[in-house]
Amino acid sequence: MPTLQQFDETVAPEGWVPVEQRWAGLDRRSLRPAAVVLAVAAVMIFAIPALDRAIPAGRAVVPGEVLALDGGVGFTPAEGWEVVDGVALGDPTRSGEYPSTAAVLVDAVSFEVTTADFAGTPQELLTQIEDLDERTSAGRGPEVSGNPRPVRTESGQEGVMTETRSATTTGLIAAFVIDGTGVEVVVTGPRDAGTGRADDVTTMIESVAPLGENR
Amino acid sequence: MTAARPVPGTEVSPAGSPTPTDVAVDRLRVVRESGWGTPVRFFQPRNAAVWVYIALVGPGLFLILHYVSSATVVFGTPITVAVVLFGLYGGLFWWFTQRIDRYAHLPRKLLVIAFLWGGFGAIFMASSANTPVLSILGKVFGLSWASDWGAGIAAPIDEELAKGLGLLLLIALASRAVSTAFDGFILGAFIGLGFQIVEDVTYAVAGAGAGFGADPSMSTLKVVGVRMALGFGANIAYSAIFCTGLICFLGRPGQPRRVGVGLGLMLTAMLLHSVWDNTAGILGPAAPFALVAWVVMTAITLTIVVQIFRRTVGVERAYMRAVLAPEVEAGTITAEEAEALAGDRKARKAYRQVAQDRDRRRLVLLAAHDLADELGSANGAETHRVSFARGELARIRSRQG
Repeated sequence: MPTLQQFDETVAPEGWVPVEQRWAGLDRRSLRPAAVVLAVAAVMIFAIPALDRAIPAGRAVVPGEVLALDGGVGFTPAEGWEVVDGVALGDPTRSGEYPSTAAVLVDAVSFEVTTADFAGTPQELLTQIEDLDERTSAGRGPEVSGNPRPVRTESGQEGVMTETRSATTTGLIAAFVIDGTGVEVVVTGPRDAGTGRADDVTTMIESVAPLGENR
Repeated sequence: MTAARPVPGTEVSPAGSPTPTDVAVDRLRVVRESGWGTPVRFFQPRNAAVWVYIALVGPGLFLILHYVSSATVVFGTPITVAVVLFGLYGGLFWWFTQRIDRYAHLPRKLLVIAFLWGGFGAIFMASSANTPVLSILGKVFGLSWASDWGAGIAAPIDEELAKGLGLLLLIALASRAVSTAFDGFILGAFIGLGFQIVEDVTYAVAGAGAGFGADPSMSTLKVVGVRMALGFGANIAYSAIFCTGLICFLGRPGQPRRVGVGLGLMLTAMLLHSVWDNTAGILGPAAPFALVAWVVMTAITLTIVVQIFRRTVGVERAYMRAVLAPEVEAGTITAEEAEALAGDRKARKAYRQVAQDRDRRRLVLLAAHDLADELGSANGAETHRVSFARGELARIRSRQG
């Protein structure tokens, strides 16, 4: 009958690699699990994002459509632009909600709208947006390049607007507060984009309105 | 001169040398099978799993620290409060999960390795895939469809796979220590805990900027409240279920391979996760009642978790009985004490509940548990620590109640 000591001798010390299991300095038994994890990680970290980039984003604006946002606000995107974020009025989620962001794009000029609850005036909202942008970008983002000026939409909503500028971009920020919903419009484009899209941008800002009142 | 008393688990042969009894042989088998007390060494340069672990946890740690520290510059106080609150919340779950792993328990170092995988490696993998998967679904099926169903498709697959693959690495890192389905259950819970806490912190960071950052304290506290109230049924439970299934699927020394059961459990975890994330889409116009649905879902999830615990813990209890059997045979501990140690909370309570002797009995159980741990760590051999643990048990037993 074996003694207690003999049992101990058959147990390999933790981390011991038997000679026949060594391969290129590694424990052959660890290769398969490591390879499986590495392969799945490569798919998740590289392949899936690459597939996403390969699928074209956006769709052409349908004439007359309204992009609807959370808080019961919407705007009419200009024809010829591409919708890269947001959903059309009449296509909510099953629970009847719309997202809080929408964006359209053309020739590297982007027009982004964000909504959220806000208790205050359009000027207070603009100040809050500028303050948050300043702090989050730590002074490296676009700078406000002019005094705020009032803006009025076609549906009669009063807001404020200011221009922004960085070394390579130019743009504007507009702020509205519609029935307790803050609306932030951020337009950004290359400095050499010219003024070819300025009319579209103005039209889209002026189309911001409570849902149902958009033209 | 009197003959020396043989150590528990041995008998003196006619030739006069001690030989193991049947229960001692069984104890050695159990100690070897369970890996009880096996030390875990993280840095094993020959082990490819270590390098893969470092390659994924390292960038995850860097990205999360960068994300949180950048936001802390802007929303310092609310994010610091959120991190502290989630830290306390995580500590509570750590204590609870370690407490239920009371039999052939896993080394603390392995639990830390599991937690860090969940918090950084799994988060790194899952967050890299979640956003592009949602984006692809939005491009193919439309944004509203993706809002309704995207999270319930992306997260269960990306996150459960990312968390579960950590267990594969842990098995490669500490193959002896990860032996039973119950080990998978506990390690899965710790991987899920790490994932949950770090994900909660990132949600708090994102929440701080909600509403144009006008009231970051209130926005953050709302996120903290919701995540704390509903989070315990989520990632911790899902990955405990998934990792139990993974062990059944693979088979281990203490768990025969059962492919069907394993796949069933892994799919159950994914399904529960999917239903949770798709609650608004499933309820549709009844979405305002989502809270009721989440409470029901949490109850269902916890019921499944309790059932898995009950079905998997039996092997661990049998290990405890087998390790203590030679001690019972030798009279070091009584059969009643061994049953209390190998039993559930009710059994331990019943043993302790003796008037005038409650405190001493509680200490006897703790000392006997120490002895079981030392026997496991010693691989069943007689060592100084085993003898000392036996002596401690005798000392506690001799105390006046």
